Amino acid sequence: MLADPPHSAPAVEVSPTARTKTEQGRRWLRWSLLIGLSLLALASIFYDALTTGAGLTYLLQRGQTFVTIFLGIFIEAVPFLLAGSIVSGLIGVFVDQAWLDRFLPRQPLLGSLAGGCMGIIFPVCECGVVPVVRRLYGKGLPISTGIAFLLAAPAINPVAIFSTYMAFGFGPVFWGRIVFSFIIATSIAYIFSRAEPAEVLLPAVNASHHDACCAVHEPKPPGPTPPMNERMNQAMRLAGDDFFDMARYLIVGSLLAATAQTLIPQSLLLSVGQGPVISVLVLVVLAFVLSICSTVDAFLARAFATSFTTGSILSFLVFGPMVDIKSTIMFLGVFKRRTVGYLILLPLVLSILAGVWWNLNLFF
Amino acid sequence: MSHYLARPRIQTAVKGLLLFGLALFLYSRLMNGTILFYINQNFVPYTMLAIVGLLIMAISYRPSERKAANEPAHAEPHGHDDGHSHATDTGTHEHSHDHSHALTVSGLLLLLLPMVLGVLVPPQPLGASAMANREVSMSLQTSSLPAAVQAAANKGASERNVLDWLQTFAGAQDPARDFAGQPVKVVGFVFRDKRFGAEQFMVARYVVSCCVADANMAGMVVRWPKAAALPADQWVEVHGVLEPGKLGSEQLPVLAAQSVTNVEVPSQPYLYP
Repeated sequence: MLADPPHSAPAVEVSPTARTKTEQGRRWLRWSLLIGLSLLALASIFYDALTTGAGLTYLLQRGQTFVTIFLGIFIEAVPFLLAGSIVSGLIGVFVDQAWLDRFLPRQPLLGSLAGGCMGIIFPVCECGVVPVVRRLYGKGLPISTGIAFLLAAPAINPVAIFSTYMAFGFGPVFWGRIVFSFIIATSIAYIFSRAEPAEVLLPAVNASHHDACCAVHEPKPPGPTPPMNERMNQAMRLAGDDFFDMARYLIVGSLLAATAQTLIPQSLLLSVGQGPVISVLVLVVLAFVLSICSTVDAFLARAFATSFTTGSILSFLVFGPMVDIKSTIMFLGVFKRRTVGYLILLPLVLSILAGVWWNLNLFF
Repeated sequence: MSHYLARPRIQTAVKGLLLFGLALFLYSRLMNGTILFYINQNFVPYTMLAIVGLLIMAISYRPSERKAANEPAHAEPHGHDDGHSHATDTGTHEHSHDHSHALTVSGLLLLLLPMVLGVLVPPQPLGASAMANREVSMSLQTSSLPAAVQAAANKGASERNVLDWLQTFAGAQDPARDFAGQPVKVVGFVFRDKRFGAEQFMVARYVVSCCVADANMAGMVVRWPKAAALPADQWVEVHGVLEPGKLGSEQLPVLAAQSVTNVEVPSQPYLYP
């Protein structure tokens, strides 16, 4: 199921005889993860009934709500994930690695900035960007450029910018979102620029890994390139494989997000939220839990605008697109777990700092 | 089973069928209109595009002579520690040994989950019970977009839905009194919580900007002598006039109902901001 379940044993060198055992253990862990998720989902449905002693109809209604939210997130995300997969498939077939090497700066800071700028140009949201970045890493994209693109694109792509404008106009929230997202994405990317691809990426994603093994097993077919329709077919198959890879993570992410939505009382969260620091924390948690598409989160943020501080709205709009339950699970299909941890923590800390800084600046 | 699934040709067939099945699932939701129970109407065109895209991808998995001829060479084990590393797509030159591209049984079940849940659980729009842990908005205040407030104000009183009314209230100085006496005709479902008196209920709609994950409730407080007889989640059409009123200690316009009739669930149950 998942290529890298969160609780599997650390990947150490194993002798050939131990391999089947590890494989079995992994499979067992995958299944237990699946069952665990289902139990969690059930728990979320039964939670209220257990505490309030409500009837069976109520339980069924909760189950219905859970399924509706899960399918809502999934159906909503499918077109965007598909678009990302198709772009990824086309890159896989038509973009040459040498071409990427020539046009993308290798210098760490420039590479990070280039990734951030790619994020402003390409209209991809958080579901679509993951397969694209994964494919580009396979083509030898520098780690920092990819991370800047991955984090920046959902928040400041043209569609998200437009919806932010629609919701907030050219105000502080509009500019704050663009500037903070860009700065945070590129600075996190810069932090990663020292890392080796093998330290950060899953083996299946890593380009150098491919070079090492593909050179032996699969030399480029000699002779002329295959005809166009065959290459298109190939691109679509690559896209299909990418779609399946990522859809698995998307489904697990949607299940978790729907569980969180059924379980965590939003009204309680929102009633807590005043004060320059608390409000930021509340909306950051909410952004993570809600897992809504980054192209429209501005409209939802607008609904909070009356009861929450500007800094907290800003944190919501900066952090939510970079990291939420759904995208965290999808990151697990690209990066090693430790990297995913950093990719949650660093944006979290920086977004909170940005929001709190904004609030205090206005209050003093 | 997993042994059979590991065969390249089975893999290809299963993937093609999965894509086709997903396209069919989305198409059926589109055709019977229940897609609107899940996402905002404005996103439906993307779903249509997705169906086309899924079908094109599904077709690319069709078996072809050329690839079948290549299969033995590609299907040889590459010496990876992954048991099914050779069970992968044969049509690609650079990724064909990729471990993660092979579908396992659990992966297949997971991918089937949305379709299975969608078929087993009859589609229904979010109901009152979904509100247990969400925010109810009875006064949108300044949170509404100026353009939306303007658009709502331009509508005739009888054409305004629940959200239009809330947006109209948002543009007023003293909404509780400013609109007293105006006639109202709105459709929504019955919702109530602890704050509501015996003769009160809320005629409510969910407002969905993207998908149901971001749903928020918008509603108007209704005064109706027989309110207690109305079960939660019942869809009703309310005729009445506005009057200044209270919910708990909050001053707000209350809809004094002249008639409350039960209606069917509308084909478009949510409102869009």
